[in-house]
Amino acid sequence: MSTPDVDVVVVGAGPAGSCAAIVAARAGLSVVLLERGPFPGSKNMYGGVVYPRILDGLIPNWWEEAPIQRWVTRRSTMLLTDTQALTVDFRSEAWGQPPYNGATAFRPDWDHWLASHAEAAGAQLLTDTTVVGLLRDAGGAVTGVRTDRPDGDLTARVVIACDGVNSFLAKEAGLYEHTDAKHFTLGVKETLALPKEVIDERFAVRERHGVDIEILGGTGKVNGGGFLYTGLDTLAVGVVLKLPKLAAQQQRPEQIIAGLKQHPAIAPLVQGAELKEYSAHLIPEAGLTMMPKMTMPGMLVAGDAAALCLAAGIWLEGVNFAMASGMYAAEAAVEAVQKGDTSATGLAGYQRRLSDTFVLKDHRKLRRAPELVLSDRVQHLYPTMVANVVERMFHVDNPNPKPGVRRILDQERRKAGVRRRDLLRDGWTGFRSFG
Amino acid sequence: MSIVACLKWVSHPGEPHDERFAGMSPADQSALEFALRQAALLGTGVTAITVGPSGADKVLRDALACGATRAIRIEAPTTAAGTDVATAIADHIADAEWVWCGDYSLDRGAGSVPAFIAAHLGAEQALGVIHVDLEADGVRATRRLDGGRRELLGVRSPAVVSVEGATARLRRAGLQSLRTAADTVIEVVPATTPIHRAEFMVRPYRPRARELPAPAGDSPLDRLRLLTDAAAASAARGEMVTLEPADAAARIVQVLTDWGYLPHG
Amino acid sequence: MIAVVAVRDGQLPSGGDETVAECGGRAVLIGSGTAAAAADLSGVAHHVTIVEMPTFQPGAWAAVLAPLLQHEPAVVLPGSPDGRDLAPRIAALLHRPLYAGALSITTDRVELTRRGGTEIHQTHPGPDFVATLQPGVRGVAVRADAAAPEITDATPTHLPRQEHRDATVLAVLPPDPATIDLAEAPRIVGGGAGLDGPARMEQLVQIGAAIGASMGATRVITDRGWVPHERQIGTTGVVVDPDLYLAFGVSGAVQHTSGLGDPAHIVSVNVDGHCPMMQLADLAIVADANETLDHLVRLLGGNTTTTDPGMA
Ligand SMILES: Cc1cc2nc3c(=O)[nH]c(=O)nc-3n(C[C@H](O)[C@H](O)[C@H](O)COP(=O)(O)OP(=O)(O)OC[C@H]3O[C@@H](n4cnc5c(N)ncnc54)[C@H](O)[C@@H]3O)c2cc1C
Ligand SMILES: Cc1cc2nc3c(=O)[nH]c(=O)nc-3n(C[C@H](O)[C@H](O)[C@H](O)COP(=O)(O)OP(=O)(O)OC[C@H]3O[C@@H](n4cnc5c(N)ncnc54)[C@H](O)[C@@H]3O)c2cc1C
Ligand SMILES: Nc1ncnc2c1ncn2[C@@H]1O[C@H](COP(=O)(O)O)[C@@H](O)[C@H]1O
Repeated sequence: MSTPDVDVVVVGAGPAGSCAAIVAARAGLSVVLLERGPFPGSKNMYGGVVYPRILDGLIPNWWEEAPIQRWVTRRSTMLLTDTQALTVDFRSEAWGQPPYNGATAFRPDWDHWLASHAEAAGAQLLTDTTVVGLLRDAGGAVTGVRTDRPDGDLTARVVIACDGVNSFLAKEAGLYEHTDAKHFTLGVKETLALPKEVIDERFAVRERHGVDIEILGGTGKVNGGGFLYTGLDTLAVGVVLKLPKLAAQQQRPEQIIAGLKQHPAIAPLVQGAELKEYSAHLIPEAGLTMMPKMTMPGMLVAGDAAALCLAAGIWLEGVNFAMASGMYAAEAAVEAVQKGDTSATGLAGYQRRLSDTFVLKDHRKLRRAPELVLSDRVQHLYPTMVANVVERMFHVDNPNPKPGVRRILDQERRKAGVRRRDLLRDGWTGFRSFG
Repeated sequence: MSIVACLKWVSHPGEPHDERFAGMSPADQSALEFALRQAALLGTGVTAITVGPSGADKVLRDALACGATRAIRIEAPTTAAGTDVATAIADHIADAEWVWCGDYSLDRGAGSVPAFIAAHLGAEQALGVIHVDLEADGVRATRRLDGGRRELLGVRSPAVVSVEGATARLRRAGLQSLRTAADTVIEVVPATTPIHRAEFMVRPYRPRARELPAPAGDSPLDRLRLLTDAAAASAARGEMVTLEPADAAARIVQVLTDWGYLPHG
Repeated sequence: MIAVVAVRDGQLPSGGDETVAECGGRAVLIGSGTAAAAADLSGVAHHVTIVEMPTFQPGAWAAVLAPLLQHEPAVVLPGSPDGRDLAPRIAALLHRPLYAGALSITTDRVELTRRGGTEIHQTHPGPDFVATLQPGVRGVAVRADAAAPEITDATPTHLPRQEHRDATVLAVLPPDPATIDLAEAPRIVGGGAGLDGPARMEQLVQIGAAIGASMGATRVITDRGWVPHERQIGTTGVVVDPDLYLAFGVSGAVQHTSGLGDPAHIVSVNVDGHCPMMQLADLAIVADANETLDHLVRLLGGNTTTTDPGMA
């Protein structure tokens, strides 16, 4: 066999791809990083919050140079009905200091920055280049990629597919057994412009501190959830919607965002803000249920391409899972190339790393959460029930005495039409997942 | 050095404030394509040249990837005055036989650099060209004139030709040449004469008040009336509505009917 | 200030009269049929120097003009195709800065249109400069007396030594047959950079067919290669003069609108209510042009009968 053009080809310069390229290039391998956009991150979108702790080893003191908008020091979880809102609000000064926790950032900035580290490490970044096929040998092992450029084949010892949700490469390699619309949610988001001082005042933050609000309810008849994040002088408002429901309701996602923005608890926060951008993207929601095989001879799959995004109700984390899986894939590729064995066995280090770390551990722990959070009961019955309970607890109805909480709970449960059995079961699932 | 393509690094009109989208304008892409085709015809290479800051290396790498054989960047700020840009280029390509330019640069240009280069080189010029025939001993170029007329020019070297965008579609760089170009060293040279920044006060575009032909009324009062009527008519312009697309379409059909462009009913 | 206007066959170029007016009525006319062209400047020019030259040769013309202009501090040419090409040659010979594509010019202030006509860049020029005036931005008020200008003939008896070579004019071609329908169309549907793909241009043609209109486009669209250059409306494209103009995703840059004549009715669909095209429109609709086109095609269908364009 002739020598391949390079040791490693990484497809897709998102968070997964750039981290993979950094690791492989730093280990001394020759690396080409292929990206279809005009620059890394140019077309990439997400909600807005990254958790970069995983970069500690890769880019020490990353917080001194990362292109962040604000550090998340306030995290709220909101439960909405049509007219009510119950918010659990947490804030921590510690999250506003090194080593920080989460941050809001723009993807074009974040991805571009990570890719510049890959280039600095010696990886060759080629943009405006789309991978359109896999090269394979007689035995089916992946030996490289075909791009849309003339003279566009590139051979490699290992291909790391980081091409995002609905991965063309993983599907082409037959690694997905079945993909189904019900495994995806549609994320849509509006970026709104608002002066920094106004944001600081409305969200009660200062300097570079910011807020992450996760919203349950507020998406009308379509099951889903919402979010509201603060950039420096922008807000990101979005919803995550279950696809089959969206189709059945024949509603346009913009209308659902518009509805959320009109909610009495949200409207004052976004009032007067000017629409800058609207974008939409699929999210692999089903976690473990939908994950493909991630290793095959000559190829590894990382990030959203491997459905590693954690989308479990109040958690929407994909970038950190992508960065970590990209790094682990590259570590395994380095081992394999150094051993001269890029068969599935040679690349087995990848699966091991995923299983031993938060990447798969979190997914296992939260495997039932997505289904629970998007279930009809949690979506349409519990918010009203809980909000009504709280409303009655705090409602002063003199001269009547205050009722007992247990009684309110029972009455409201019955009023909402929730069976005690289901409530207990869901509570148990929730407790096992989130507890 | 005989065939030169002058390429400017310009911001993308849709993303004027984000350098990462910046690159070659469609007009410069056409220019490069003709330079490459002509070089193939004459059996020689193409020198790509740009005047700009280090970010402008991008257009040179793109040119190398497409087949340019040499790349020169003359160090200058993006705001360099057009006359200085032309002088700097002309000084570096004194022996060029064919210079290919875009018709005008997207960001602030007005199509003056190519003619300046021609003046410096004492070369022929064919500017604002919309059709090119390459021949062994020269170029036939069709240039736009007023009123939709065109002029067919026979051009011989040394010459500067500037072309409109999409006169030719730039070839797509091959993967291997893209990889080689990414690693090619770009020659960076200082300008031979000082480069001045063009300093301007910038404000949004507002149309200039137009001078109207004097009204033809008989008495001063009639003339005044004519003038004020014209003003009233123009003030009536400008009904602005925000509509959903479906309603917008319906509204358009409605006004076309009202104005008599579509039959009623 | 003095205007320099390139004349072809006795015809003034677009913006020729405006440039002379901007310079207060002093002009040099160079080209063929300059005396006839000078007569057309009655009421605009008061003093015209004519230089009769057979064909447009920017290098040679600049060499002839330079000695005539060297004591003129401010020299202004119209931004017509010939003026645009000649101005830098004159500026280079006189060693002066050039301000190209101006909106207004006085000896101490020049305003330039920049960034695709969205910005005005204003500067104070030095004592000597050359500038081009964007055609169509100024308008001309012809003086009531309409006296014929005083004419001086400065045609050189022999051409200066040929230092500057010029391309050979092989032919002047009439307007492209493909553009005739556009140039003379009483109704035009135009598309600009707000449209999201070449297929939108087909929709414009369909809508055009339904209402008896021709399809035109901005320079951005022709540069993208979505429609041929002959479809470009504007100062460097086809100059049109329709009764009705429907603009979809067009910002209304001066280079576009000054080739648009003076339509009786303008409809503009744009997401930005502040752009010049929306200011010019009789009906300005803030909406997504692409989706609006989808609906419009559906509404107008293929078989709409229209009123006769002559009647509107
Ligand atoms: C609405 C929404 C909100 C979200 N909110 C958050 C959040 O707040 N926090 C969070 O951590 N995560 C969030 N996520 C999830 C997160 O965006 C993803 O998990 C993450 O982007 C995955 O990174 P990746 O590198 O695997 O893939 P991507 O970021 O999708 O990158 C894939 C890259 O590959 C390129 N590419 C694709 N195909 C090809 C090809 N054939 N050839 C060449 N290049 C190709 C693409 O251009 C892209 O650059 C959200 C997602 C959505 C949709
Ligand atoms: C020397 C010279 C000569 C030139 N000659 C000509 C000429 O002859 N003809 C000509 O046309 N131009 C000419 N130009 C170019 C001119 O300056 C402008 O750049 C051009 O006219 C702008 O075209 P546009 O309106 O399509 O694009 P833009 O100015 O980019 O405007 C696009 C418009 O679309 C709107 N938009 C965006 N998205 C949407 C949406 N979804 N729905 C609705 N609207 C949307 C935007 O708000 C914007 O107003 C010339 C320039 C120079 C320097
Ligand atoms: N800074 C520059 N570097 C290289 N070429 C340039 C530069 N500026 C202008 N040009 C060339 O001149 C053409 C017309 O530009 P302008 O005169 O600025 O409108 C461009 O399309 C380029 O081909």
